[in-house]
Amino acid sequence: MTDDPKPRLATGVKMRTDAARGAMLLGPERILELDDIARSIVAQFDGTKRVSEIAATLAKEYNAHAGEIRADIEHLLKDLTAKGYVKP
Amino acid sequence: MTALPAPIGLLAELTHRCPLGCPYCSNPLDLVRASQELDTKTWTRTLNEAAELGILHVHLSGGEPLVRNDLAELVNAAHLAGLYTNLITSGVGLSAQRLTELRAAGLEHVQVSIQGVDAARADTVAHMKGAAKAKREAARLVVEEGLALTVNAVIHKGNIADVPAIIDLAEEWGAGRLEIAHVQYHGWAIANRASLMPSREDFLESAKTVEEARKRLEGTLVIDHVMPDYYAERPKACMGGWGRQVIVVTPDGRALPCHAAASLPGLTFDNVRDRSLGEIWQGSEAFKKFRGTAWMPKPCQGCERAEIDWGGCRCQAFAITGEAASTDPACELSKDHARMRGLAVADAASAANTFRFRRIGG
Repeated sequence: MTDDPKPRLATGVKMRTDAARGAMLLGPERILELDDIARSIVAQFDGTKRVSEIAATLAKEYNAHAGEIRADIEHLLKDLTAKGYVKP
Repeated sequence: MTALPAPIGLLAELTHRCPLGCPYCSNPLDLVRASQELDTKTWTRTLNEAAELGILHVHLSGGEPLVRNDLAELVNAAHLAGLYTNLITSGVGLSAQRLTELRAAGLEHVQVSIQGVDAARADTVAHMKGAAKAKREAARLVVEEGLALTVNAVIHKGNIADVPAIIDLAEEWGAGRLEIAHVQYHGWAIANRASLMPSREDFLESAKTVEEARKRLEGTLVIDHVMPDYYAERPKACMGGWGRQVIVVTPDGRALPCHAAASLPGLTFDNVRDRSLGEIWQGSEAFKKFRGTAWMPKPCQGCERAEIDWGGCRCQAFAITGEAASTDPACELSKDHARMRGLAVADAASAANTFRFRRIGG
C-alpha cells in the first residue's frame, strides 16, 4: 500500500442501501453493515480519489479537521482491506 | 414479539440435472426431474418476490445451473430486481461466450467447485472424466472476465491431505475467496460416509493449516472454513438458524428452510407456484416449525447459546437420533453426542473406498 492510495471496492463487492438495514457492503456470501461515517467514507472509494483527497472533501462536508478524518479513513481502510471488501 | 426480519439469501436450485456425480452432493437422494422444473416465468416472479421481501443475495445453484438455457435471462431478472447475483457451478459447460453473456446480464460472482488438486483423483470423485480440466479453464475465464471468483473445495478423507495445495491453487487461480468446506453429512454423503469421513487428527491438522493461511493471505484471499459437525463440540447455526436468513427453492418450486429439509418427516412445504415468497416466509408451517427457540428441547431451552446456534441442524438431529426436534448431536450436551463421534471414528478407520455416485433415479 502506498502512503496515499486510491482505494476501491474489491471485485464482486458493491454498496447497497435499504430501508430496514441501512447501508451495507455486499460481497460473495457476506454482508457488512456500515454506520453513517463508514458509509460516507466508503462511498468515496471509487479507485480515482486518494485518501488525502477524500479526507479533504469529508472534512469540508462535516466541518471537521482533515487530520482526524484521515485517521478515521485509514483505520477503516485497513479493516476493510483485511476483510477483503476493499483494495487499497 | 418483534417483527420477523427479512431473509438475506435465496438459494435457487434451478435444476437437479448435473454432469457430475459427486458422492457428497447436497441435493437430496430423491432428485427432481427436468420435466418438473419451474419455467422461466415462475423463476422470474420468484426472484422479484425475493427482492421485494428484502433478500440481498441470490445463489443460482443446482445441480448444475448452466444446463438451464434460460440462465442468462434469470441472472438478468435477478440483477434488475436489485439482487446480488452469485452463480454456484461445477464450471463444466462454462464457455467464454456463455460467461460474457452472463456477465452482460448482470452476474457478479462465480463459485467454482473443485474436487482436489490431482486431476485423476478429482475426476474419480466428480465421476466425470475431464472435469478437473474443465474447472481450471472455467476459473481462468471467470478471472479473465473480471468477475469475482470463489473456489469451493469439499473436504473428505480422500483429499484432506491436499488442503495446503488447494489453498495454493486458489491463490494461483486468482480467487478472492476460498471455501474449505468439510462434507456435511446429509443424503448422498450419509450413504457414502464410510468412504468420506476423515480422522479427527487429519481434521485438526487441516484446520491448523487453514488458520495459518488465513493470516498469511489476509487482504488477498478470504478463506471460509466449514467445519465437520461430527468432530465439533458445539453445533453451527445451520443456515443461520431455521427460517431466519435463507429460503431454498427446489427445482420444482418447493420452498424449504434448508436444502436437506425434505429429509425430515411430517413437514409440508409450500410451493412458489401457489404462494408468494413473502407469504411463505411469514406463514409456511415448515418455516415456523423450528423457527426461534420455543420448539427447543432441554438442554437447548434456556441455553446461553440458544440464540447463537439456534439449535444447530434439524436434519442431522433426525438422521442420528430419529427425532427432528432433538438436540443436535454435534453438541456435547446431547445424549447422542458420544455416539455420533463414535460413528465418525469408525467411519474414519474404515477401509471403504467405493462410492455410491449421485444420479437421478439413483
